[in-house]
Amino acid sequence: MEFQNQHGTRQSGGPQRSSQMILQSSGESCDNPGPVMNPPLAGSSDNNTEQRAPQCLVREQDRYMPIANVIRIMRRILPPHAKISDDAKETMQECVSEYIAFITGEANERCQREQRKTVTAEDVLWAMGKLGFDNYVEPLTIYLQRYRESESSDRSQFVKREERQLMDYYPPGHAGQVAMMPPPPPSYGPGYYFGPQHGPPMYDPSTMGMFRDCSSSDAGGGGSSSASGAQGENSLGGFDPFGHFK
Amino acid sequence: MRQPGRYSRLMMCGGITGRSGPHSLPLARIKKIMKNSGEDVKMISGEAPIVFSKACELFIEELTRRSWMTTQQGKRRTLHKEDIESAVVGTDIFDFLVSLVSDSCNSEDIITPVGIEILDES
Repeated sequence: MEFQNQHGTRQSGGPQRSSQMILQSSGESCDNPGPVMNPPLAGSSDNNTEQRAPQCLVREQDRYMPIANVIRIMRRILPPHAKISDDAKETMQECVSEYIAFITGEANERCQREQRKTVTAEDVLWAMGKLGFDNYVEPLTIYLQRYRESESSDRSQFVKREERQLMDYYPPGHAGQVAMMPPPPPSYGPGYYFGPQHGPPMYDPSTMGMFRDCSSSDAGGGGSSSASGAQGENSLGGFDPFGHFK
Repeated sequence: MRQPGRYSRLMMCGGITGRSGPHSLPLARIKKIMKNSGEDVKMISGEAPIVFSKACELFIEELTRRSWMTTQQGKRRTLHKEDIESAVVGTDIFDFLVSLVSDSCNSEDIITPVGIEILDES
């Protein structure tokens, strides 16, 4: 099916979405920086929907995920010889947005019931479980955990503070240099899905550089700060950085 | 699970940190869609769009997979909208999409009365 449409509107031969503009309700702040007048004729046909003017409008491209990203994800699944029709691409875009709205609606309702103002990641995951997407919950939980860990390891100011604490705990004179520090405890509260909160800084094998001479090459697996690591070690009593050398 | 050293972890995680490296789907766009979902969404935590970026990937993958099965059944190589519609109709959790995909003029082909019959169970 030919997609070309010189007015740039996304039409797939059907009556749907002939008008691409959606007026925002007046109370709503408009995220858009103003009308964007795209030329009606352009190579990329998805983004040229605005023919007129200056109200607070949700541009079509803001209602959907970028089509290139959507196609890229679809192609991961499809065999190399497969083709995707243009209307299928558009439909997929619409479905994704509908999915986000659907889940968000449920998550938001829960927030309102509990008189909270902020929709959190946990709310989103809860809503997915409730609406039948429970097979997504576990991979998303792991994904979010990894994200939080990588975020917390980026915070160098925590690194310096932890450095000082560990220097007090372990007298200097081992390696002498302070190389890497364990990541700080993640700053999120006890999560609905994320198990027990980390206690003291979890031991990171990269800190082994601090305590050993260079003979030991394998930092071992005990110092994982991820969820699969030593979750039982929630008190410093269980913290044994030399355990690997025994 | 053994963790690699700090730098390699950063490189490994470059794709999923909020700051560095792209997610597969743009977070700002996700946030806009969430806000415009019409449910008077007030505030959204920073992590919620990140969860959605991954969730939408999973969603697209699943819907694509199911749609492609219909394409294959028809011995075709091009995935059409009708294949997506068929996948939506045939999957319970995609019920929320039924009205969306059947907005086209083909609705009489898509919404078949299967399952709408009231079974008389005594």
